Amino acid sequence: MRYLWLCFVVFAAITTNALTCLAKENEGKKSKVNKVKRAALHNKSFIRRDTTAKDTLLKDSMNIIIRHTLYNKLSDSVTKKPYDLSKFPAVSLQQLLKGQFAGLYVQEPSGEPGSVQNMFMHGAPMPLLSQRDVYQSQPLVVLDGIPLVTEHPFAYDIQLYDYTRMGTATNPFAHIDMNNIASIEVLKDLSATAVYGPRAVNGVIVLTSKKPVSAKSITFDSYIGLAQRPGVTTINGKYENAFRQRFYDLYTTNGRYSDDENYPIYLSDSLNNVYSGKSDWSDLYYRNAVVYGINFGISGGTDRANFRFSLGDLKNNGVADGTVLNRYSAMFNINMKPIKWLLFSAMVNANRLDRQRNKYLRDRFAQINYFPDLSAPLPPNKEYYADYLTQYKKGFDNNKINIVDGYAKIGLDLGKFKFTTTFNVDYNEGYRDVFYARTLLQGNSYASNYFGYSQRIMADNMASYDLTINKVNNFHFELGQSTQWDTYKYSNAYAYKGVNDYIKIDLLDSNPKNPDGSDNGNYLNPTAFPRELTFRFLDKIRHNLVSFYAKTDYSFKEKYFLSATVRADGSSNAQPTSRWFYSPVLSAAWSIKKELLDNSTIINDLILRASAGRLGRLNAFDNYAQGPQYTASVGYTGNLTVPGYNAFGVLTRPYSTGWVGYGIPWSYSDQLNIGTDAGLLNNRLHLSVDWYLKQEKNLLIGIPAFAEYGYKQSIESGMAVNNTGIDVSISADIIRNTNFGWTSSLNLNHNSNKLKALPRGLDQIIVNNKLLKVGSPVDQYWLLINDGIYKSENEVPIVNGQPLKYNGIALHAGDPRWRDINGDNVIDNNDKVLKGHSLPKISGGYDNNFRYGNWNLNINLYFNLGRDLIHQEMANRFDFINREGNSDVNSVKEITFWEKRGDYNKYPLYNPWSTVIPYRVDQDLFLENASFLKLRTVSIGYDLTKAMRAKKIKLTRFYVYATANNVFTITPYTGQDPELVSYDGYDTGYGLPIPRTYTLGVKMEL
Amino acid sequence: MKNDHKNHVVKMKKTLCIVLILFSAAITSCNKTLDIDSTRVVGEKNMWNKLEDARAGILGVYALTRAALSDNDSHWLYGDVRTGEFISPNRQDLKAISSNQLNASYPTVEALSDWTRFYAIINAANIFLERVGDVKAADKRYTENNMIVDVAQARFLRAFTYFYIVRIWGDVPFITASHDGKFENQPRESGDKILIWAQQEMLKAAADLPFVYSNNDVQQPGNYYNEDATRWGGALATKNTAYAVLAHLAAWQGNYTEVATYTKFVEDNYGKSGINFQSTEDLTKSNGFFFNKNTSQMFGFNSDWGHVEGSVAGHLEELTLAEPVVNKKVPDIYMPKDTILKIFNLPKDERFSIDTLGQPRSERYFTNINGKYPIFSKIKVIQGGVSDPTFRYFTSALIFTRIEDVVLLRAEALAVLGDVNGALNETVSVIFRRGITDITFDSNQDIIDLIFQERHRELLGEGQRWYDLVRYNKIKQNNPAFLKLINSKGIYWPVSRKLIAQNNLLTQNPFWK
Repeated sequence: MRYLWLCFVVFAAITTNALTCLAKENEGKKSKVNKVKRAALHNKSFIRRDTTAKDTLLKDSMNIIIRHTLYNKLSDSVTKKPYDLSKFPAVSLQQLLKGQFAGLYVQEPSGEPGSVQNMFMHGAPMPLLSQRDVYQSQPLVVLDGIPLVTEHPFAYDIQLYDYTRMGTATNPFAHIDMNNIASIEVLKDLSATAVYGPRAVNGVIVLTSKKPVSAKSITFDSYIGLAQRPGVTTINGKYENAFRQRFYDLYTTNGRYSDDENYPIYLSDSLNNVYSGKSDWSDLYYRNAVVYGINFGISGGTDRANFRFSLGDLKNNGVADGTVLNRYSAMFNINMKPIKWLLFSAMVNANRLDRQRNKYLRDRFAQINYFPDLSAPLPPNKEYYADYLTQYKKGFDNNKINIVDGYAKIGLDLGKFKFTTTFNVDYNEGYRDVFYARTLLQGNSYASNYFGYSQRIMADNMASYDLTINKVNNFHFELGQSTQWDTYKYSNAYAYKGVNDYIKIDLLDSNPKNPDGSDNGNYLNPTAFPRELTFRFLDKIRHNLVSFYAKTDYSFKEKYFLSATVRADGSSNAQPTSRWFYSPVLSAAWSIKKELLDNSTIINDLILRASAGRLGRLNAFDNYAQGPQYTASVGYTGNLTVPGYNAFGVLTRPYSTGWVGYGIPWSYSDQLNIGTDAGLLNNRLHLSVDWYLKQEKNLLIGIPAFAEYGYKQSIESGMAVNNTGIDVSISADIIRNTNFGWTSSLNLNHNSNKLKALPRGLDQIIVNNKLLKVGSPVDQYWLLINDGIYKSENEVPIVNGQPLKYNGIALHAGDPRWRDINGDNVIDNNDKVLKGHSLPKISGGYDNNFRYGNWNLNINLYFNLGRDLIHQEMANRFDFINREGNSDVNSVKEITFWEKRGDYNKYPLYNPWSTVIPYRVDQDLFLENASFLKLRTVSIGYDLTKAMRAKKIKLTRFYVYATANNVFTITPYTGQDPELVSYDGYDTGYGLPIPRTYTLGVKMEL
Repeated sequence: MKNDHKNHVVKMKKTLCIVLILFSAAITSCNKTLDIDSTRVVGEKNMWNKLEDARAGILGVYALTRAALSDNDSHWLYGDVRTGEFISPNRQDLKAISSNQLNASYPTVEALSDWTRFYAIINAANIFLERVGDVKAADKRYTENNMIVDVAQARFLRAFTYFYIVRIWGDVPFITASHDGKFENQPRESGDKILIWAQQEMLKAAADLPFVYSNNDVQQPGNYYNEDATRWGGALATKNTAYAVLAHLAAWQGNYTEVATYTKFVEDNYGKSGINFQSTEDLTKSNGFFFNKNTSQMFGFNSDWGHVEGSVAGHLEELTLAEPVVNKKVPDIYMPKDTILKIFNLPKDERFSIDTLGQPRSERYFTNINGKYPIFSKIKVIQGGVSDPTFRYFTSALIFTRIEDVVLLRAEALAVLGDVNGALNETVSVIFRRGITDITFDSNQDIIDLIFQERHRELLGEGQRWYDLVRYNKIKQNNPAFLKLINSKGIYWPVSRKLIAQNNLLTQNPFWK
């Protein structure tokens, strides 16, 4: 409904505006001429806006020159235009970029709108052991020169479980409206990224917003669509009971494994309709959901002062669990040229995001830090499940984010000498207010209020000088300096047991004085919740970065290009003894075409380029700058946030996080990139190939060590990881008739990573359940090889008169037959092997565009090859003995427990009671090939511009389209969507489905 | 036009000047910008400068000790669950512990075989002992006496930790310096040797420890860290604490002469620390002995309700309580009725006894005795010492020893040393307080049995039983299975495989290979 209303308003606005336009046009001849001119200019600039997926060197070193030669000609075929991308009903930037750029890999662990997604450019630069590593592996996103700030992972420090970060856990890049973006460039090699400094060590995604144009222009882009309810197979208590009975039949004589066995009542009572009745919970859980997006932009002004203003609204209803994301955005750009050589420009991009999150019990219990009695899971029957939802609705879980980024820039253009100074601000705040009613938690209400912000302020100065000697030698000199102040902060308070279900926030006594004038002892104490059950936390990290760089570009006759950059970066998170890091970058390009093939008609363009250099890598945490240190964390399992001892704050060494010593240098990345771009056959075939080598050095890693000094690990520098691979982009203009056209483009990346070194020259270390071994990839799983089952006791090998042992436990009939890899007649960690890859070897996209008259058809495919996952959800189902009836995280069963995913018959029936834990996840029994091919988009559109013009309606463009997204997936994986896995490659079953979505849309410009 | 141009040039120059100034300003302010102290950790240069640093340091050692003992409820899993007298209906990890399958690959079992958290206490104490002198030198408010008392506590806690881990693993690495930044792997050292050292350390600490804090003790005049006696009562180690733990240590060594000496000291002096015997009611009520902190907690670690230090985890109640005491269907551990009746066989026992009709006289120790799961509810400090079953948030103190324990230790010592009457008197003085007035002891009975039976009843759920069983079997020498366990070092825990992988000087306990 809101959608229709919004559309109406916008149309009304456009109509009135168009009328005033018309009115103005009649004002005088002169202005009309001007208008036409502008319109022409405008048209041109429109085409030029379609810049993009260019590879890097071009961005800078050869930027100006190349843009006029190679890429511009081919821009239609090689590039992904924001214009096209915006047809995809996405919420986040990551979704839009997925499969579009060779070398940029996007993880979408859940289809929940607005949830966090990860990006990796040219592989993961470090082993992804925790959310911290994921954070430090993300590429930089730059919007109009503002390096965008994201949520700092320090909140995980006080979280027992790292499923989602404390607070709103909203995707920080859900606030980019593609309709406001003129170009997207993905910068992968140092020649282009170096100017962004150490922030850019994982690559850069440069977004440039639509610039104001002096011609009056109005744009309206909108779509509305439907996300389709997924079809699922539901099961009930009877089914689950039958599933478990098979194990009881095999391994027990009287249906009980031991006298004190406690079979869950919800399964044993087959007459109980709550669990054994109809399993129709999915009617309340899944739904067909409306999605829409609407953006209205207006641009205008004069040559000397112009602006663009846009408003947007997006609503994305998830298909599962009532999830919703709402976005309201406003963007304002202004350019002013008070005098010829002075340009003042400013931009403000303000967004508000509201998110309805999923209702996962696991996440809720982890958030409230309390596990209620879990002996009765949520019932699969709709009527009973509805009760739960009603109780849930008595409370709230509000997630609100405000993101404002903006800049003010003064540019001096004195011909050859240019100077710009920019002031950037990026402020990202999140509020999460939660109240759970008493009925949800065995009579205890829970309220929590979170406020956190990430703030980046940056002052940036850049001066450049252009020099041409003898008309063939072009020099460009550039000096830059920037200072960046980052602040990350949160405060969180939660409380249990409010007085009733009507007071939903933890009110504080706000009177400092009593009525009689004396001090109020309860000042700032909670009033509606007990003081003793109110917990408050806050944390803050500051990080300052000061950078200088100098850069020289040289080109000779447009044949040879050379560029050199030297940087100095100082970070407050580096140790005082090595605060500054100096790094060089060198790049070169050679136009073979101009040199050798000037006459060739087949080869229209051929450029060879190379870059090599070094860039520092920042520490996200300020702890490391301190060297040996003291912290206040003296918690224990289940209670990490012990406030102190006897109500005094305490300070101890950081035993649980790890020893930090002196002498930690900057870690850095050495990168080598060799590439070529070719335009063939009248530029109808374009080929771009890049080979790269990224060597991450001096990375910090926690080595399990010094246990006898109390430390869980020692955080040391010296880990090195290599990523090497190849990016290929091919695009072809296969058919180019006036009436019919077919362009096709393929992008793919092959990446392989390897651990090159560990601190102290160690060969290997074991971190949690991962083995990091020098010479092996870092994204592999460390698994026992499963060879079936010991059917009887006499099948178990006898070693020295005793049965074969797993970690000191004798194996019996019904236990897995794990392979003794090293042949020492003992099964232990030494028999685990590195197997599979959590990151794909090959990933990419294949895009086809067909044009017939005013019609066009787009088919977009996305694929991953050579990727594996661990089907943990399945392992959990079989390991029911260890996951039943306790008040802990393992016993939590979501409503989706009543959904059948995957093939239960694939697995042997082990003795689930065995203390070797036969259904453990660290074996290849649950390792599956997660390669896939997805038909991501089919869209068909009709260009009405001509038709409208024929009717004398003045329009620049009028285009209507329909799309179908996530149409099908082809995969050998037996579980749900192979994309729905966490960063470490485990399919826990917690990803909400990525829905199939159908949309209808319109894009118009006048 | 020309003028205009001139103007431009002037403006340009001005701008250039501004730019240059900005640049140079940027460079000079850099180092200030980059030199910021963390707001979340304290660097070495900002530590050990002030009285408050010493306070944060010594209380940190206490906090780490509490964390180590509470982590995964380990104090009770080591002490009470391992004996097999408690049964776990659902938790496979606890089943493994109670059936002595300590190699089982459950996270809890793995965590319990990892000694890292104990060495955190030792390291924190080592650093404190090495660095507290800096505070003394830098801050005049930090008095000589304050330092002596703090050092004694750090020493005591360090020795106590060694004693505690020697009881669990036997031989452990022996480290008495922080080795800050120059850590070296150490092999396991003979547990016997470490105990001799620990005993010396505790004696030295005992000499400096006061009987009471902030209450005009000769050895600790004035208010300790400017807080009065109520703030510190029960929270810190006193002279009595040291002697009580010394008694435990000597008993573990089998050195009963010394046990007698140490326990005598405590029996003579406990009043000076404000320690009292507990009535059965006080012992078991929700806001009684185990609630928050009080001076009777001879050596305990409180999680004070008022200090918001309570928790869902890390308290015995997490394991033992269930319906009807708290709203949890099935307890993690429970004691079957048969076992209960066997242990609590004395009539009129206020802790637990049944009347002639077979009904329980009270629900102090056990609730729901006739249900499927009798609930061991001796310790049930829920929230602020209430009986509200809805919210499983506990504030009980972890008690290592109390006066009744010391008296029974003395009885044990006297019995071993041959003073049967003395032993009986000591035992009876505890039993009498539990409402059992007409105890008959016939001379055919071994007084040792009576003492250990009483220890079992009195100290059930206080993490003592496993060690009692070891001492009992060492004295009695009549249980071949248990003796085999003792002799093959099966009474110790396996060393976590993780630790052995980190430190190649370590060896696995042979029993668990």
